[in-house]
This record gives sequence, C-alpha cells and structure tokens, in this order.
Amino acid sequence: MKRRSNLIEVDGDNQDSFEQILKANLSKIYKQSEMYKNTAWYRSIVDAEKSCLKEDKIKKIHYKFDDDKEMVEEYNVDTQVLLRRAWKVKGKLGGDGKWVVEIGDPIPEATPTIEVADIVESKDQPIVTRRNTRVNLEWRIRNLPYPIETYSISANNDERCIIVRTTNKKYFKKLQVPELDRLGLQLEQGNIQSSHQFQTLIIMYKKPQPLLDMEKEWFEELKKVKPIKDMPSDCKTQ
Amino acid sequence: MASIAAAQVQEVRSITRIERIGAHSHIRGLGLDDSLEPRAVSQGMVGQKMARKAAGVVLQMIREGKIAGRAVLLAGQPGTGKTAIAMGLAQALGPDTPFTSMAGSEIFSLEMSKTEALTQAIRKSIGIRIKEESEIIEGEVVEVVIERAAGGGGARVGRLTLKTTDMETNYDMGAKMIDSLLKEKVQAGDVITIDKATGKINKLGRSFARARDYDATGQQARFVQCPEGELQKRKEVVHTVTLHEVDVINSRTHGFLALFSGDTGEIKSEIREQINSKVAEWREEGKAEMIPGVLFIDEAHMLDIECFSFLNRALESETAPVVIMATNRGITRIRGTNYQSPHGIPLDLLDRMIIVPTSPYSHQELREILNIRCEEEDCQMSNDALTVLTRVATETSLRYAIQLITTASLVAKRRKATEVSMEDVKKVYSLFLDEHRSEQFLKEYQDEFMFNDGGGDAPQLMEVAQ
Repeated sequence: MKRRSNLIEVDGDNQDSFEQILKANLSKIYKQSEMYKNTAWYRSIVDAEKSCLKEDKIKKIHYKFDDDKEMVEEYNVDTQVLLRRAWKVKGKLGGDGKWVVEIGDPIPEATPTIEVADIVESKDQPIVTRRNTRVNLEWRIRNLPYPIETYSISANNDERCIIVRTTNKKYFKKLQVPELDRLGLQLEQGNIQSSHQFQTLIIMYKKPQPLLDMEKEWFEELKKVKPIKDMPSDCKTQ
Repeated sequence: MASIAAAQVQEVRSITRIERIGAHSHIRGLGLDDSLEPRAVSQGMVGQKMARKAAGVVLQMIREGKIAGRAVLLAGQPGTGKTAIAMGLAQALGPDTPFTSMAGSEIFSLEMSKTEALTQAIRKSIGIRIKEESEIIEGEVVEVVIERAAGGGGARVGRLTLKTTDMETNYDMGAKMIDSLLKEKVQAGDVITIDKATGKINKLGRSFARARDYDATGQQARFVQCPEGELQKRKEVVHTVTLHEVDVINSRTHGFLALFSGDTGEIKSEIREQINSKVAEWREEGKAEMIPGVLFIDEAHMLDIECFSFLNRALESETAPVVIMATNRGITRIRGTNYQSPHGIPLDLLDRMIIVPTSPYSHQELREILNIRCEEEDCQMSNDALTVLTRVATETSLRYAIQLITTASLVAKRRKATEVSMEDVKKVYSLFLDEHRSEQFLKEYQDEFMFNDGGGDAPQLMEVAQ
C-alpha cells in the first residue's frame, strides 16, 4: 500500500522527473564513455610522477608510482602508437631489479647473465612478443611451424586470459590481457582474429571503444609532460 | 653374460657418482640413533663415542635454533676425526641449514681484511627462509640428452624435453644443471619441477603413463599425473638464502664487473645494517624465518689475536651462528702475540667455548675405518692385507695408512689382481716413506743435504716469520 502511494506521489510532478531521468541517463552515457577515468589504473597513472624524454620520433615516458613501482612507455609521435611498455621488477630480497617488457620487443641484455640458473628454452622454441597497433592488441608467437588449423584460440573470462591450444598438444599458452584487466573490460571471442605465416602465429584482439578512448585521451594528457631538455648522458666521465 | 652385466653396472656407477672421493666422503652423518646415542659403526663414523655424543648435543642445540653465538672447540691429536665430526654434523643438519666450512688460514688475503672475511663467513652461516614468487617449470620428462661438445673442448651440452598434457618444450642446460639432473637420477617418465631461479630440481614421482614398465622402478616409486596446462608457472616457493647472499645482491648496484670477477670484495657496513633491519622487519611480519647455521673453522690456531677478539664480540650478536673450531695444537703461542695459551686460543675466548676432546683410535677402530675407506675407494682388500695396514696405522698414522689403500690398489691393478694382497701393501710401504721413517732417513743422511751447516738458526727464523 505504501509503495503505491509513493508512486502516485512521483506521478504528481511527472514532467519534472522525466527530465531528470533523461538527464541522469544522458550523463550515464556520457560517463560510460569516460568511465575509464574511474579505474584505479587511470588514477594511478595520473598520480604517478612522470618524466619525459624525446628522441627523434620516439617519446619516452617514465612513470614512478606511489608504491615504488616504475614503468616506461615509448610512443611513436607520428602514429601515436605505444611501441613499448616495460616494468621494473624488483626481487623481494632487494637488488637493482630488471626490466620486464609488457609490450614491444624485449630489451637486449647489455651483459650476459651469468647468475641465472643454466636452464633456458632452446633457441628454436616458441616465443611470445607483444606488438600493438593502432586498433589491435597483438601477440606474435614465433617459431610455431604448425599450420593455422592446428591452433584454437579462445577467450576465457574466468581466468581473464586468451588461451592458445594446439591439436597436436605441442603448444599451450595463456595470454594475459593487462590492458583490458586495467579497465575491467570483458574479453570477447568475436574480437579475436589470427593469422599464421613465416612460422609466426599472430593473434589480434580488436581494441574495444573504451580502451581506444582512453589511449587517445592519455596521449593528449602526456603532451602536458614537458620533455627534459638537457638529456642526462649515460656515460658520465668522472 | 655375467661380464656384460658387470660392465653395465660399472657404467651406471660412473654416471651416478659425480663427486670425487675426498678424505671425508665416506661420512654420511654423525652415526647417532634417535636418542642421540652413538652407534659403534654407523654412517661412516667409527669410535670417538664421547665426542660424537657431544656433537649430538650440539646438533640438538643448533636444530632448536634458539641459542645464538655459541662456540664449540674440537680439540685432539692429528687424525682423530675432528674434521670428520664436523662433516658428519653438517650432513646430519641437512641441506637446509647453512654450514660454512673454512680453514683458519683462509682469512688472510690481500684483497680483504681479516674481519671482513670473518664477517662474510659468519653471514654465510645464517640462512633466511623466505617465500618468494619464482618461475617454476613443472612437467614430465620426455627425453634427457647429454653430450660432449664437438671440438674437444669437453664442455657438456644438455637438452631436456619436458611436456604437460597440453604442450612440449625443449630446454638447453648448462653444466651445473646437467650435474644436478644426474645427481637426482632424472630419467624419461619422471615428473619434476625445476626452480628456474635457483636451478633446484624436485622429483614429484613417475608419470602414470609409465606405470607399465614397473620393473624399471623401485618399490617406493610414487605415481603422479602428468601436469596440465603451461610448463612454466609462477609459484610461491620457499627459498633459503644466506644473509651473505642478500648482502651481495644488494651491494651489486655498482657496475657489472662484480658479476665477472665473482669476487664481491668488501661489503659496506651500511648495507649490512639496512639488510639486518629489513630482515628483522620480515621476521616481525612473519614473512621470513631465520635459520642460524654453523660456521666451522678448521685449524683454528691459524687465526690471530685480532680475529679472536673480533669473534669474541661477534659471538655476542643475536644473529651469530654456532661456531665450531677444530685444532690439533696443545699449549702454544697465540698467533700475533708472544703469549702462550692452550690450543693457541686466548683464554677469554676459550672460556666462552665448550671443548670437545677427541682421543686416539683403538686398534679395532682403526681397522674398521680402513675397511670403510676401502669400500669408499672401491678397493677389494684381503684380510691379512687389512691386518698389516691396521698395524701400519697404529705404528705410523691413520692418514698414512689411508694413503696406502689407493696406492696398494693401483699396484694390485698392475698385476691384474682383483684383490689387494699383503704383498701389495708391503710393496707400497717400502716405496713410500711415512713421516717417521723420512725423519730417520734425514737424520742419517743430514750431512749430505744442502744447507745442513746452518745449524740451529733456521727454526728461530721460522718463529719470527710466523
């Protein structure tokens, strides 16, 4: 009974409330396109201490987060594509830490690593690299000689990854998609495409609209970070 | 038929034994039963019951890990098993308790101060058990291939093929990995995990798929499923690292040259302090556990007065390990002073120690030890040869008798005998002089040697040089 009276009450100023609802909905739609601004990720990169270096066509941004993490991004200035993103991973026991590449080609080691335990994948084994384009998230798995019909690639939202399987049981990989995780977006099977040539399996995932929006906006935002003029030289003479 | 089988057995042996036979490689523990009572002959240990019992009490003390900075002195004549007891203690403690073994003379180096060397040794003897995320390879072994590289370099190359139910990968291995694979006797069909950071191999069992070739497996073989999914996983594993290793990791920021030299040089005291406070923090948060280990200093009389006073102080710190020293000296000069002291160790340090004496072996014990050494060196010895050898051991020294085992077995091999006879032992006894006969010889022919007219000056010079 009470509820009913409530309804009638609302009914009383029908005109006004309709406008309100419309407004609310509009702002919701507006917000949805910018909802990435509410994610922890976006806030953390806004709050991070950023410094910028410009080298020819490449813009390098160094982020220092509140929790002492460090990240470097490299953008191509012309195409606005993110060429490389790497994280500095420190061991629990301390030490200098090393860079782990999330997107882009791995950084060649300056010094041969002696201390790593001497078991490594053979050179001819499959290796995954990330290389994003303007519209796609891309994984390239080199050294996979099997024909395209061998592979089954599926989106798995429970484990939040793309799973690559082979019918001959020779290769299996769970590919994390940190970009979507950060925005809390679901993986969709329909967005996945793949091709295979020159022993390389290329998996493409179409960037969803919110991600595209965010990247565009963020690139604009980064223009505010002024590049350091006098570049610190790597080889200081003492 | 029998000879083929024998040849095969030999081959297997040569693969599994990768450790060389050392003076104490027959020691596998202290030879104590569960109530820490010494057994007469066990785990390579013979006799010396009181000392072993004492070592058992020390072992209990270390295991409980509550008491820091105790020192134990093993004192006894040469060849009475001081080092053997320390080695047995290390074996009994197991691989997870850090055990650092050094000789007293090791600390004298031009690159490092004596106290730094001692500090490093002390910090090497304290372990921290810490949970860390690590890359783990987990899979069933498909194939292990080990071959010598072409070109006579002799470097071994290894390839390991592992699989899960979903994938298969080849790995290249270096020499260390090959050794530990051989040590663990990993073969096709085993399910193993390898910690990529430390190279530690853990055998989980045999794959169910291989359950049919039952005659190839032992009775207690455990069968497990072949793992699924990816071969490489990130997992939380418990690592044991020593404080010294943490020091090294954190002091390596300057330059990569330290990587090549392997020598870490001196570590700044600030870094050590930082790490100490960090470790204390971890312990409070329950993230890490401290395992006080053992520092064994052989020939402790070679340490000088500065080292002793440093040890005095270092033992008082609550992160100090249990220090075991061994010496074969009686009342002698303390190095670096003109004072005499028992065992060449200052009285104030001696006062902080518990002293475990070792006594000379009896005839029967010597025979037992020689028998064990014969087994260890794969040497068949006839009964009377062993009797002669035991006599030699009582009359000269145990070490000399042990030297004769190898030499006699080589002589026996020359005459294509399978067993070492009394004649072989006699032959090598006449070929190689023991210390006493050598001295006799020198006394007899002293006049014909060089610089013999120097007279009594030489010993005095030695004293000064020391």
